[in-house]
Amino acid sequence: MNPLPLRPPLPQRAALQRGLLLALWALVLLRSSADGRLDLLLRAAFHPLVALAGLLLLLLALVQLRLGLVDAAAASERASRRQGLLLLVTAAFTVAAMALPPAPSFAELAGQRPRDDTAQEDLSFVLPPAQRSLTDWVRLLRSQPDPDLFAGDPVRISGFVLPMAGEPPQIARLLVRCCLADAAPVGLPVRWPGPPPPADQWLRLEGRMAVASGVDGRQLVVLPSRIELIARPARPLEP
Amino acid sequence: MNSARLATAWALFQGLLIEALPFLLIGVLISAAARWFAPGGQWLRQLPSHPVLGPLSGAALGFALPACECGNVPVARQLLVGGAPLGAALGFLFAAPVLNPIVLASTWAAFPNQPWLLLARPLGAVLVAVGLALLLRLVPEAELLQADLLAERRLALPLSEVSLLERRGGVLGGGALTAAPGRPRRPSLAELFRHGGNEFLQLALLLVLGCLLAALVQTFVPRSWLLAVGGAPTLSILALMLLALVVSVCSSVDAFLALSFAAQVTPGALLAFLLLGPVIDLKLVGLLGLLLRPRGLLLTIAGAGLLVLLIGQWINLWRL
Repeated sequence: MNPLPLRPPLPQRAALQRGLLLALWALVLLRSSADGRLDLLLRAAFHPLVALAGLLLLLLALVQLRLGLVDAAAASERASRRQGLLLLVTAAFTVAAMALPPAPSFAELAGQRPRDDTAQEDLSFVLPPAQRSLTDWVRLLRSQPDPDLFAGDPVRISGFVLPMAGEPPQIARLLVRCCLADAAPVGLPVRWPGPPPPADQWLRLEGRMAVASGVDGRQLVVLPSRIELIARPARPLEP
Repeated sequence: MNSARLATAWALFQGLLIEALPFLLIGVLISAAARWFAPGGQWLRQLPSHPVLGPLSGAALGFALPACECGNVPVARQLLVGGAPLGAALGFLFAAPVLNPIVLASTWAAFPNQPWLLLARPLGAVLVAVGLALLLRLVPEAELLQADLLAERRLALPLSEVSLLERRGGVLGGGALTAAPGRPRRPSLAELFRHGGNEFLQLALLLVLGCLLAALVQTFVPRSWLLAVGGAPTLSILALMLLALVVSVCSSVDAFLALSFAAQVTPGALLAFLLLGPVIDLKLVGLLGLLLRPRGLLLTIAGAGLLVLLIGQWINLWRL
């Protein structure tokens, strides 16, 4: 009969360290799902996948912890120095991720990205003008580029202030297909009544569309009658 | 340094990482399931070892395993550990991120009016995978694969396929052995959890490094620079290849990203973006480093770049 292997002290058991590491990763995913930061980082379609992965990792972590306490073979495996290092680095990263939630500058991000060029031929057409979002307006203008068609239409949109080189800032939104890495801006020119608000400021604009001469010839601009400063919406990214 | 820019890089990093982690977990779970259901991986050794049929059979496995490139790395590692022919495992590694139902469906959804692209993307992915597998076959396995992977792989291979100098067991001077020693044992649940846990943790840390690199490069190199050469046939392909390396989004959604700038670039450049990203990008470099030694990694990058450039040029000759 084989003698029972000697069990190292709890902190040196490999299975317990593994369980702790998996729990840290689970914490990152579950915390991100719960605290709303996913709304800033990923398209909504991916949110359930992240939460599910967090739950699975938590389950795997609990299994490892249990094995490290009760399973004879698992409890006798001593953690290597490499695993200890992995634990330290992962712990440092997860603490940083928790302590420093993402706070991207949308204007900064949009400033380095090419404009989104997709036009959409769907329900945007049937929406009354005052119900069109900024994205609806941009896509509609791409499908129907004649500005005179829309002059005088009421506008009620929200977005952030995006500085433009050589022209006044626009009001913009970020479109995201997957995560922030693929974000592409869409924007509308605005004829600001006074000095334009600072970059990144979120605004709700009400007013009318007007035709003006711009860099690219005649173009549609928003003529605001009311400008309201608002906080960044909970779900600032658009599909 | 601009603090808004650093904050943006940090957010980009978190976005890339949190999006990729579930796919990495799926890959590790598939790999663990393969160890459990097919211990020893006998069926893997039945895959063809022919230089072209091998990669093709590996590529075809992608249809059964709908994960994007991060998830494919642990599965490809399991194929290699199980003793699959090198060509088949490499064919899977390089082609499966494109040849799977999710990626094909998303390409179709993004480009329903471009039937040539729906055909050219999977065909191009197979060509690149076969080309890379043929190229990497020229390097001996011992110089291509990482040492710990190679050691595990040799345990699964029949002794007759392992040279005398590389064997750690067996009888010198004995007759040629054709079967793997012993009947493979199904791993215990504790072993399965230990292996899967270690694999996930190691890959996750490499993914952190890759995402960090990708986020920093994306933040400090304006993307508009790369798209500025959109109309030039060769330059546009090179620029979009560079963009694919940098942007590091997963293959299941890269078609939607390509849609946003499709009108600004040549067709060859568009296809090059869709072919290169699933094979290699900044986020993947660390993960692939777990399978391949630096020499193999460099050959993969150079070979994939050259093949994709040639395919892109040919498409531009045809479509422009």
